[in-house]
Amino acid sequence: MSNEKYFVPHGTYWPIIGSIGISTLFVGFANQMHDVSWGWPVMVLGFAIIAFMMFGWLGTVVAESVGGMYNSQVDKSFRWGMSWFIFSEVMFFAAFFGALFYARVLSVPWLGGADNNMFTPELWEGFKATWPLLSTPGEVGQSGVAFSTNFKLVDTWGLPAINTALLLTSGVTLTYAHHALRAGHRNALIAWMLATIALGVIFLGFQITEYGHAYHDGLKLTSGIYGSTFYLLTGFHGFHVTVGVIMLTVILYRIQKGHFSMENHFAFEGVAWYWHFVDVVWLGLFIFVYWI
Amino acid sequence: MSLFVIAILCLIFVFLGSAVIGLLRGGREGSDRMFKALRMRIILSVLLFAVLIFAGFFGWIEPNSFNLLPTQ
Repeated sequence: MSNEKYFVPHGTYWPIIGSIGISTLFVGFANQMHDVSWGWPVMVLGFAIIAFMMFGWLGTVVAESVGGMYNSQVDKSFRWGMSWFIFSEVMFFAAFFGALFYARVLSVPWLGGADNNMFTPELWEGFKATWPLLSTPGEVGQSGVAFSTNFKLVDTWGLPAINTALLLTSGVTLTYAHHALRAGHRNALIAWMLATIALGVIFLGFQITEYGHAYHDGLKLTSGIYGSTFYLLTGFHGFHVTVGVIMLTVILYRIQKGHFSMENHFAFEGVAWYWHFVDVVWLGLFIFVYWI
Repeated sequence: MSLFVIAILCLIFVFLGSAVIGLLRGGREGSDRMFKALRMRIILSVLLFAVLIFAGFFGWIEPNSFNLLPTQ
């Protein structure tokens, strides 16, 4: 039975456990960056504490939800929370796409002599604008690394196109799952969710394979502005796909537990939107990183 | 062709935005809006990918052929 008054959560220890986890993670990360021997294990410990906190805290929220403790006002607060999270995600990827556009359309052409050669002689004489730009201009005088190399861009029609097809197909299967949930077709819902998760996992496998090829061909995070933007954009996207697969798996578990109804399935909707967004980001990557 | 690609991408974002509004409103009406917007999103995305594949196959556009750099 629904509680008619606004739900006030009871006191809980999960926030302090989360704080300890985040602190531990960053202490470990900072020390790992300074090659301190215990940095790496402390970092893993921090990550484990955060995972424990998330499992426990979100489990509590799910238990409260299915226990009928939430009313429409709490439902509204969840929807607002998800909306702000979505806004932050859009801004997150906008910043990285913005960096790519700035490098390709403005800064690299400027250094190469665009706009009446205003910048080139003042900064790095002899700089030739190329794309992909695989070294940072300042490296030339110091190490003799050329401004550009013969690195060939990743073939658009190879793994990137296959991965695009995979993610778009997962968007289709998720849409069928969404329809099945709204229509009350439980078996179809489970089957489409399994297909979506499987496609996400296959995508990640191919992405790891592509990273292996790119790294073998000499493309690293330090390979100039191209290497930096390539790995930051595709890397964070891959991280989001990983998180999406985990969330879809949790949703599938909750479906099997009977947590959702045809009318009330906010958690499914939130995760569905997230997956569609990750899909669109990949479409943007396919066009702006692999195609143009 | 570039304008077509950009226009479809913008439309996709419009439908994603519409889905967020549906998510925020909730209820039967919000849920309907969200589902329909996400369905349109995936239809447009598949259409865009198919157009890119066909355009590449028939040689209408070449990948990595956009030169944004100054002539030297």
